[in-house]
Amino acid sequence: MEIRLKNLRRSYGKLHAVEDVSLSIPSNTVYGIIGKSGAGKSTLVRLVSMLEAPDSGEVYYDDKRVDNLSRKELIEERRHIGMIFQTFNLFSSRNAADNIAYPMEICHMDKEHIKKRTEELLALVGLERRGNAPISTLSGGQKQRVAIARALATNPSILFCDEATSALDPQTTRSILALIKEIQKKMNLTVVMITHQMEVVRDACDRVAVLDSGRIVEEGKVSDIFASPHHAVTKDFLSSLTTVRESIIRWSKEGGHYTLRFRGGKTDEPIISAVSSATGAIFNIRAAGVQTVDGEELGVMITDIGPEGEVAESAVRMLEEKGVHVEESGEV
Amino acid sequence: MSTMINLVLEATWQTVVMVFLSTIFSMVLGFPIGVLLHVTGPEEHGGIIPHPVFCSVLSRIVNILRSFPFLILMIVLMPLSRLIIGTSIGTMATVIPLSIAAAPFVARVIESSLKEVDPGVVQAAKAMGSTNWQIIVKVLIPEALPSLAAGVTLTIINLIGYSAMAGAIGGGGLGDLAIRYGYQRFRPSYMVAAVVIIIVMVELIQFIGDRISSHLISRR
Repeated sequence: MEIRLKNLRRSYGKLHAVEDVSLSIPSNTVYGIIGKSGAGKSTLVRLVSMLEAPDSGEVYYDDKRVDNLSRKELIEERRHIGMIFQTFNLFSSRNAADNIAYPMEICHMDKEHIKKRTEELLALVGLERRGNAPISTLSGGQKQRVAIARALATNPSILFCDEATSALDPQTTRSILALIKEIQKKMNLTVVMITHQMEVVRDACDRVAVLDSGRIVEEGKVSDIFASPHHAVTKDFLSSLTTVRESIIRWSKEGGHYTLRFRGGKTDEPIISAVSSATGAIFNIRAAGVQTVDGEELGVMITDIGPEGEVAESAVRMLEEKGVHVEESGEV
Repeated sequence: MSTMINLVLEATWQTVVMVFLSTIFSMVLGFPIGVLLHVTGPEEHGGIIPHPVFCSVLSRIVNILRSFPFLILMIVLMPLSRLIIGTSIGTMATVIPLSIAAAPFVARVIESSLKEVDPGVVQAAKAMGSTNWQIIVKVLIPEALPSLAAGVTLTIINLIGYSAMAGAIGGGGLGDLAIRYGYQRFRPSYMVAAVVIIIVMVELIQFIGDRISSHLISRR
């Protein structure tokens, strides 16, 4: 299902949590919304998931407007979306299977059907035979698997993930993201992932919107954003990617005034040599590495370009002409 | 000696009946009020139907009733007993003021138990399309159950204390026995017997209540 947001605004007193957000989230994709804490992510997801009404603006699921529904319609519409949370929010009074059964119970589904569907869902998330387990006996990853199964119980067309992996260790995060991607394909879901972790965007999302102070500052395909980030906040997020740091080999702690980002096929071309011989610039490479984003190879290089002044400037220009994204500042 | 045993047994039975019935009636009265106090409270504390005016008016009423000295409330409510049961004296007649006096206490106990439920879980239930009624019945109450059991225990023990006081105004039971025989007729053995039985009752209820609570928790 396609989700469209039109000029959404929501403030709490003087705090403008969400300011004029317009966004189109295409159907059948994993869409990331990334922002730091306080950027308005939580409010935005509450608005998009019909948990809260905006002060102004509109929310559409396909062509249906959902921000101004009556109470009854709202409850009905909520039964067609799924949502998972950072703290899982499972019912401690119910075991795993009964947690998954809850959304079906409240729709008054037939008991036999609920039982069958619960078994299917437990298998889907890899928790066969754990249906009777009390929630407190499950690990964080298993809890999130139960939460995912619960969210999918009523065959929703949208799945909202509100910081769904933020409470999990890196390995569990990867397995949960893999599960979400797998389910997305299987069920043709539109997945909206709210996160503050760039790893999540890199590993799971097709498109991403960067949120800062309640506004979308950058939006696009994940591989495009990684190859050429424009806004400072986006660059900040990219530099905080710990695994990039790990994959980049740095042989000099000092220096490195420029960050170059190459993408796809260009990683094979001898660009540096070409630019160097054409402009007479000297490259002093301080760190470099390659990472895979959305199936595409992206190269990152931190370098000094000398001599400073005209030669360096023309080298930068030439690099940019060749499609390399150049940033001043040496942090990856 | 046998008269004493008979009297003590009879008084114990009266206390049991009084406490049992008034626990049930005060729950019937106080439980819905407790739920209302919680669900109409502010959203950040887990209120699902926030209604500040209603909530604060109800809260005021509960506070006023709770600040009434119990003995005075009993006397004020006696005409009500006469209206409903036809008499204002005796065990059954005491149940009514006892229940009403304990109801606001029960309401607060229930409210605070429900407040312990993680608001995130309630939000999840809401996001799944639960009606308010479903949230109360299928989420709030089951999630708060161990704490609610502890609240019921507390209520029963409180009512044992209240029922002893009710004896003073003709309600019967162990309190009545202690006052009439132990105090007014100078027979300390009655006083001691009454107090010991009350202590045993309280210990017993607390023990059972704790067991139930921890059993409920252990299954999670």
